Amino acid sequence: MKVEGERKEVRVLMAKPGLDGHWRGAIVVTMALRNAGMEVIYVGNQTPQAIVEAAIQEDVDVVGLSILSSAHLKLIPEVTRRLHERGAKEIIVLAGGIIPREDVPLLKQAGVDEVFQPGSKLVSIVNYVKHRVIQKRSSSAI
Amino acid sequence: MQHKESEGKFETGSGIPVKVAYTPDDVRDLDYERDLALPGVPPYTRGVYPTMYRGRLWTIRRYSGYGTPEETNELYRHEYREGQTGFSIAFDTPTNSGLDSDDPRVGADVGIGGVPVCSLDDMEILFEGLPIEKVATSVTGKAFSHVQQAMYFAMAEKRGLELKELRGTTQADILTALGCMNYIDQIAPRHAIRLLADLVEWSSEVAPRWHPVSFDTYNARENGVNAYQELAILMADAIAYIEEERKRGRIPLDQYIRGFSFNMGCHNDFLEEIAKFRAARRMWYRLVKDRYGIDDARCHLLRLHVQSSGITHTTQQPLNNLMRIAFQVLAAVLGGAQSVHANGYDEGLCLPTEQSMLLSIRTEQIVQHETNVINTADPLGGSYYIEWLTNELETRAWQYLKRIEEAGGLVEALESGWLQGEFRKAIIEHQRRLDTVEVKVVGVNCFEMEEEPYQVRLFRPNPRAAEIQTEKLQKLRRERDNQKVEEALRELREVTKQGENVMPAVMKGVRAYATMGEICNVWRDIYGTWSTPIGL
Repeated sequence: MKVEGERKEVRVLMAKPGLDGHWRGAIVVTMALRNAGMEVIYVGNQTPQAIVEAAIQEDVDVVGLSILSSAHLKLIPEVTRRLHERGAKEIIVLAGGIIPREDVPLLKQAGVDEVFQPGSKLVSIVNYVKHRVIQKRSSSAI
Repeated sequence: MQHKESEGKFETGSGIPVKVAYTPDDVRDLDYERDLALPGVPPYTRGVYPTMYRGRLWTIRRYSGYGTPEETNELYRHEYREGQTGFSIAFDTPTNSGLDSDDPRVGADVGIGGVPVCSLDDMEILFEGLPIEKVATSVTGKAFSHVQQAMYFAMAEKRGLELKELRGTTQADILTALGCMNYIDQIAPRHAIRLLADLVEWSSEVAPRWHPVSFDTYNARENGVNAYQELAILMADAIAYIEEERKRGRIPLDQYIRGFSFNMGCHNDFLEEIAKFRAARRMWYRLVKDRYGIDDARCHLLRLHVQSSGITHTTQQPLNNLMRIAFQVLAAVLGGAQSVHANGYDEGLCLPTEQSMLLSIRTEQIVQHETNVINTADPLGGSYYIEWLTNELETRAWQYLKRIEEAGGLVEALESGWLQGEFRKAIIEHQRRLDTVEVKVVGVNCFEMEEEPYQVRLFRPNPRAAEIQTEKLQKLRRERDNQKVEEALRELREVTKQGENVMPAVMKGVRAYATMGEICNVWRDIYGTWSTPIGL
């Protein structure tokens, strides 16, 4: 998917912070984003540090975090904090997996853009990514 | 008056087309003695034991654990008091990966998906005061199960228990750990199976009442494959272990196979799952008797543990899951399971709370004591639909097994990524069906509600588990005889390289309080680490 006026496709890093190995959700979201024409780099299980390193190296627009272990309140804010420290706050951080609704505000406060519950329609995730990236790019162009 | 059918397809969960009604014609080739027979009689379609639940109820066994070994010990005492009749250790992800709680990469994951057991010390704490000589435990480890098993055996020995008398199960299966989800720092399937087969071999001599392997397709099924694929994968899994021993020829095959046990999921096509369990028993008997020529009846029995399927439990409207779980427990029982785990209704939200744990146990007790389904074995036997479907699933399963064998058998299929590719296809196809509402999930793509109607309390893991375990490990390493540990690890390295059975050396290491990580690093050094090829 090419954003108007830009040559760059939307680039997404898909990662699983920590040790939770359940990959089913990460697979379907990766495929949906790819089918929508986005470039998705799947890095699997990584530490927050490694995720941030990869995100910066791969020059991504979006980091997608899939986590089902209930370690999300520890690991996801560590990702957003490190991105911030590295001056990469332009990168949009999205999360999904087993993340109870009551934890979503905490994650948003920590810099997560949106959290997708299990059963979220793939088309809404794809559209969300598209629109947020367009928004970010046009606001940074101003 | 015309009775029309509504639109849409009528299929089983596996996509098998279903007729409006089944008749004797659909099972005209069925031969009672050849294909069914009584329970406890070949081909065991109707059950592995002659008296089934009249002789012995299935075990109420929850896969559980969290926080620290101390906390989990409390939990197991509680479960036992409430009527659970077997234990199943849910180790945390670092432990199952073969890592210690103080590994710098794993802190956030300690004690949150299960209980950390880093050494014999933790295992002793875990089972403090629990009657393991009366109650069978499932040591439900992953690719390094044999180390976890050694800790359990060493703990039992220290209590003065005879390994020859000990009853229980080790999962010891390569399938889940190396193909169904991603664990870090693993070793390749062909090496992992060598070590786990060492456990099966050695255990058959020292602990003949123990089941040292449980072929587990629960997670394969959670990866989207259907009922007959699950059957085929189950067979392929067991075949891989049999072939491993045949390669070595160290002990008689019947001695090796005698302790095999099996673990499947139970999904939501109620009748198909029942037929599936029946087909599994018949297939196993035919495989062991016809392909391997083994006549020992103990080798013919597909002793089955069943877990209700987590993927069918929704995050939305969580109390609905109680119904799903109840149906799945009932299907497992009508299908003749020996042991059943009922999930918590909060499966889609968190680890089970005390309340959901209690309801899991009560669900099974209600089936056992109120529904009367235990009065007779295989009550659905003879149903035209069930017998037709059992046959159909078996036929398709043999066909799919051929495909797995064409892909080189289970070990090769895992190393090449062929099986993971099958999972990927299945997952994507299932998602498509959810998106188009071809498959309905109440509360998710139909009967959705903006506001959650049920407030459920969430389980929160102990945030200090990593800290507590780290302190313990530091103390352990200070106080143990480190020379003994080094000797044991050296010996372990030697026997591994020589291709000998590693279990005596593992036991030595475990008794000297070597840790999980230290022991597994011996194999990582020798074999290198391996990552499951997910193909993304």
